[in-house]
Amino acid sequence: MVEVLIGVGLLVALFVGFNIGGSTTGPAFGPAVGAGAISKFLAGVLMSIFFAIGAWTIGRRVVNTLGRDLVYDPGVFTIETSIVVLFFIGGALFVGNYVGVPASTSMTAVGAIAGLGVATGELNWTVMGEIAIWWIVAPLVGFWVSVMIGRYVYPTLNSWIAITQTEGALVEFDRSGLLPVPQAGPNTTRREFFGTIVLVSIGCLMAFSSGTSNIANAIAPLYGAGVSMNPLILAGSAAVAVGALSIARRTLDTLGNDITDLPLTAAIVVAVVASAIVIGLSAIGIPASFVIIATMSIVGLGWGRATRTATVSGSIRGEDETNVSVGALAAEEPGEEAPEIGEEEPEDIPKASDLFDPSTTGRVILMQNLVPVISTLGSYVAFWALFTFLW
Amino acid sequence: MTTRVLVPMDDSELAESALRYALETHADADITVMHVVGEPSSMLGEATALALEDDIEAAAEEQASEVLARARAIADEYDRDIDTVVDMGRPGRAIVDRAESFDTVVIGSHGSSLVDRLFIGNVAQTVFQRCPVPVTVVR
Repeated sequence: MVEVLIGVGLLVALFVGFNIGGSTTGPAFGPAVGAGAISKFLAGVLMSIFFAIGAWTIGRRVVNTLGRDLVYDPGVFTIETSIVVLFFIGGALFVGNYVGVPASTSMTAVGAIAGLGVATGELNWTVMGEIAIWWIVAPLVGFWVSVMIGRYVYPTLNSWIAITQTEGALVEFDRSGLLPVPQAGPNTTRREFFGTIVLVSIGCLMAFSSGTSNIANAIAPLYGAGVSMNPLILAGSAAVAVGALSIARRTLDTLGNDITDLPLTAAIVVAVVASAIVIGLSAIGIPASFVIIATMSIVGLGWGRATRTATVSGSIRGEDETNVSVGALAAEEPGEEAPEIGEEEPEDIPKASDLFDPSTTGRVILMQNLVPVISTLGSYVAFWALFTFLW
Repeated sequence: MTTRVLVPMDDSELAESALRYALETHADADITVMHVVGEPSSMLGEATALALEDDIEAAAEEQASEVLARARAIADEYDRDIDTVVDMGRPGRAIVDRAESFDTVVIGSHGSSLVDRLFIGNVAQTVFQRCPVPVTVVR
């Protein structure tokens, strides 16, 4: 009977890993696949490898936090409770993947475990509080860094990174040697080749950061229940690999993904900022909310760029053509004398900053919290009922 | 003075019904079709993609061109001319702001998908509640 239960637990954990592989490959390698730099198969392979490296090196710290520290008595993780917790995590991922509401897997996982902790009176509120504070601080850091990038360095970055597509494959492999050596394809310029390398590297970085943070979501409950760490990491990473090589092929095509919808340079900035924060948090054992950090980074970049003002040096060089918000430019009719700054009636001008008013951003962030909140409450109610009536 | 009618449209069929209704009901009115781009999406990527363009206005017009072209085609069926206007950001708010310089608003009751409604909100309801001029909701 116990063997059957462990089997079921492992199966649910693998399902979670499978879904992580499916949902993370898109944001990580979508830009590279979209630019024709690598095939979907290669994207899946790279995803699997770098996820596993992240999980094995840094990811175990987060597993430890979720499986041991978040509850006073890890004994509350039995195989049965682990299955229920994993069921909520898997369900949330399922909703995220198939309905299209992106939700942080880590927040969902912490929520499901916290539900168990509260129902049993074993939740370590100190650890929970620490995690929750990082969930507020980290997105703000991502926002601020991206605002600075959007406002001051984005055009420069953009001109560096710009990949002008030419005919022919971007990269070809020289298979004459022992190992295939990538080299520039026909018509591939040096800069294009460099850009491709950057794109693929960014994907690998995101896969790595996902490994550091997300492996815990699949295996932490089982680790808490007493299964040992290393085999779990290997099994979890294998499940991610299966997801990355199977359903990711479809999600790469169909899933509307806001990161891949961005211009290339923006996607790279967001990927680097968000991945760096996620890896940093994982290193101190904090499960990070990638979706929210990335969203705040996207908003920061757009808002910083939309509200940019001409710098002194920019005006002299004539690069920045505006000294009010960019949206105001087109409101001037040709031949009409430009109004003095501050004399325009702001209502007539569709302002780019309208794109990011605080209530809009707030609403989006609120919706992203919907799935974790449901998972927390659902888990609490389920465990309360199970402990009251069944166990 | 002719009646000025504002018809906010998204890419849904219901928006087209709203336009047809407006054309039929307000036979002598000046009709302006409005489309909002850079709407809130699941990670606000649409808004940011727009904000990062060098010429935001031109990019917004470009994104709106498909919906507005369809609106003009419908107006042609009725042998009518319409004005068009493009706004950015949150549709509900943009429509309410714009409505101040019109006599009435005709709007479809809902847009395309559930997810859109989660992130954008119920636009018709917002307009219905806050609009300074009379609103007709077509369903």
